[in-house]
Amino acid sequence: MFENAASRVVFILLLFLNVSLLNGQSPPEKPKLVKCRSPGKETFTCWWEPGTDGGLPTNYKLTYHQEGETLIHECPDYKTGGPNSCYFSKKHTSIWKMYVITVNAINQMGISSSDPLYVDVTYIVEPEPPANLTLELKHPEDRKPYLWIKWSPPTMTDVKSGWFIIQYEIRLKPEKATDWETHFTPKQTQLKIFNLYPGQKYLVQIRSKPDHGYWSEWSPESSIQIPNDFPVKDTSMWIFVAILSAVICLIMVWAVALKGYSMVTCILPPVPGPKIKGFDVHLLEKGKSEELLRALESHDFPPTSDCEDLLMEFIEVDDCEDQQLMPRPSKEHTEQGVKPMHLDLDSDSGRGSCDSPSLLSEKCDEPQAHPSKFHTPEGPEKLENPETNLTCLQAPQSTSGEGKIPYFLANGPKSSTWPFPQPPSLYSPRYSYHNIADVCELALGMAGTTATSLDQTDQHALKASKTIETGREGKATKQRESEGCSSKPDQDTVWPRPQDKTPLISAKPLEYVEIHKVSQDGVLALFPKQNEKFGAPEASKEYSKVSRVTDSNILVLVPDPQAQNLTLLEEPAKKAPPALP
Amino acid sequence: MDSKGSSQKAGSRLLLLLVVSNLLLCQGVVSTPVCPNGPGNCQVSLRDLFDRAVMVSHYIHDLSSEMFNEFDKRYAQGKGFITMALNSCHTSSLPTPEDKEQAQQTHHEVLMSLILGLLRSWNDPLYHLVTEVRGMKGAPDAILSRAIEIEEENKRLLEGMEMIFGQVIPGAKETEPYPVWSGLPSLQTKDEDARYSAFYNLLHCLRRDSSKIDTYLKLLNCRIIYNNNC
Repeated sequence: MFENAASRVVFILLLFLNVSLLNGQSPPEKPKLVKCRSPGKETFTCWWEPGTDGGLPTNYKLTYHQEGETLIHECPDYKTGGPNSCYFSKKHTSIWKMYVITVNAINQMGISSSDPLYVDVTYIVEPEPPANLTLELKHPEDRKPYLWIKWSPPTMTDVKSGWFIIQYEIRLKPEKATDWETHFTPKQTQLKIFNLYPGQKYLVQIRSKPDHGYWSEWSPESSIQIPNDFPVKDTSMWIFVAILSAVICLIMVWAVALKGYSMVTCILPPVPGPKIKGFDVHLLEKGKSEELLRALESHDFPPTSDCEDLLMEFIEVDDCEDQQLMPRPSKEHTEQGVKPMHLDLDSDSGRGSCDSPSLLSEKCDEPQAHPSKFHTPEGPEKLENPETNLTCLQAPQSTSGEGKIPYFLANGPKSSTWPFPQPPSLYSPRYSYHNIADVCELALGMAGTTATSLDQTDQHALKASKTIETGREGKATKQRESEGCSSKPDQDTVWPRPQDKTPLISAKPLEYVEIHKVSQDGVLALFPKQNEKFGAPEASKEYSKVSRVTDSNILVLVPDPQAQNLTLLEEPAKKAPPALP
Repeated sequence: MDSKGSSQKAGSRLLLLLVVSNLLLCQGVVSTPVCPNGPGNCQVSLRDLFDRAVMVSHYIHDLSSEMFNEFDKRYAQGKGFITMALNSCHTSSLPTPEDKEQAQQTHHEVLMSLILGLLRSWNDPLYHLVTEVRGMKGAPDAILSRAIEIEEENKRLLEGMEMIFGQVIPGAKETEPYPVWSGLPSLQTKDEDARYSAFYNLLHCLRRDSSKIDTYLKLLNCRIIYNNNC
């Protein structure tokens, strides 16, 4: 029985529930607070979204409490803000205080509360759009025409007292255009637009923003029609600019015409072309490199056999006692007062490099300087010294105890004959293929030859050697010559000065001669150099007797039969430079 | 002798010319505006001081808002820190006006001293904020750089406010006590959540107080300089 009653009650309840569920009635769904906004930092409104009402009439109740308070208040105004809103008037609004707001949905079935929303009025400021937007076309007489846009601040914002700080943004466009032209203005309530297209209908909108907060909505569009005869541009200014630029152009043209080339050269100086003596650009253009190089060569260079002839022709052997120097115009001046031997680059005299004997003789010009201070240079290796500026100096250097060499050296930097302090590369381009030693040897050899081998029958011409290996001989030659010079006072041997071309020494191969020895009584014994080409050495003939002196101051030596035998016995086959005392 | 006399004449004429030109030029020079509240030694005009102060306070509030939003986005999502942030500001003891009417009824002296109190009470917390944000793991540069900037600007604004105060209320004493911040231990706790909550509170309070300072200054600016006609 009881079981029956209990189960009946349960059954009825379930039936009732079923019926109600079938009817669709349920407690309301949780509403949701959407947003709260304050238009002027003095009031604010909150809106919510109701959920489903569960099929029954549902009331919504908004409750809140403030930060630091426990008292719960209800929404003072549900109407002003529209449906599902709550409006907080001035007296209910506090800034810098958190509001905790909740909306409750109530119906017969139950109550649903929303999640609380924490609101600080400071951060929910969104003003209304500006009001009273007016557009006006202004046409002042002495200025450009413009569109004058005016408006007033949005409602509910107290800008005057500084409570609400506001900024504006205006945008406008011709009706059919797609892009807006925007202008931003802080604070002011008017704007002038200048460059408008006539005949167009313009649309204008404006919105506002607080100093900290959200932008307002755009105001409704205002439109204005620009008349067709609206003068857009101030053309007078452009006419003036055009005339001025035309005048300037005319002036420039006139100046160019008048000054012409000089002005152009003043502004754009011509690029200097390369200037190399003998360099013909046209040859280069044609591509004839050989011709070009030939043009670059000096006509005396490299020394050919012609040069040798010339060298031979113009060997000048100075009289050691005589201070007579080459009667050449000397353009330079040495400290010692010795005229340098110029390398005559321009003429074909061949004196330049071949001046060495004259230099040597210059050294000999001061006999007091080197009588018997003549001693062997340190070693033959010095001759192979690549610094050829030393080789010529070997002999003189040894006697330069008193510094007499300097006139050699002094000539060097300035004179163009033997630039001893300078490397051979600075030497005359005419003979740049040769180093100084070669030329020295050349000249010395020649000098020796001219001095000795003027014997018609037994002449050995100086061979122009192009290698430094002959330096040894050159040294020997020099030594001999120095000897010759030093023994000069005793011997009274005069070195001739061949100024003229002598047929004797023309077109003859040149050879070196060897100083064999100096005999007891100061006789210089000279040997012709053994020519290796001829295999077995010839019988050495000693040239130690002066046969004659020609007009051109050429010393002709002949073999001395008396001394010859003696030398052969005493110093057989001595070809090396003798060790001199 | 004649030349000497003529040269002397020329010299005197030149001197006269210089004097006259100087006088004329001096007349044309615009003198700096006199202090509106009486004769004082105004070196920078009050208008300029207010302009500057308003700019700086606006800037500080912008930075504080950005900093708070960054922190909220990064560390406070879904944590409900806001509930703990209620009533957590150390400056709540200051009697600051909380709506327009109240503010308009407050005398500018009071408003100014309130501003000064707020600025002074934030010196210390800002310093520690910078230090602690630096030590925070993965501290984004957006937050740190703004914290450093705010600390600097706060000092600048305090200086400017003191100058304004000296000009607007000459002879006033500035010995008002200001609230002291004692939230450093909570910034340094080991518990990460508690620490982040403390940071949240501090940034929330900073945002609010910078807004107060900014609003009061703008109000004062319009009231004093523009005579309620902004």
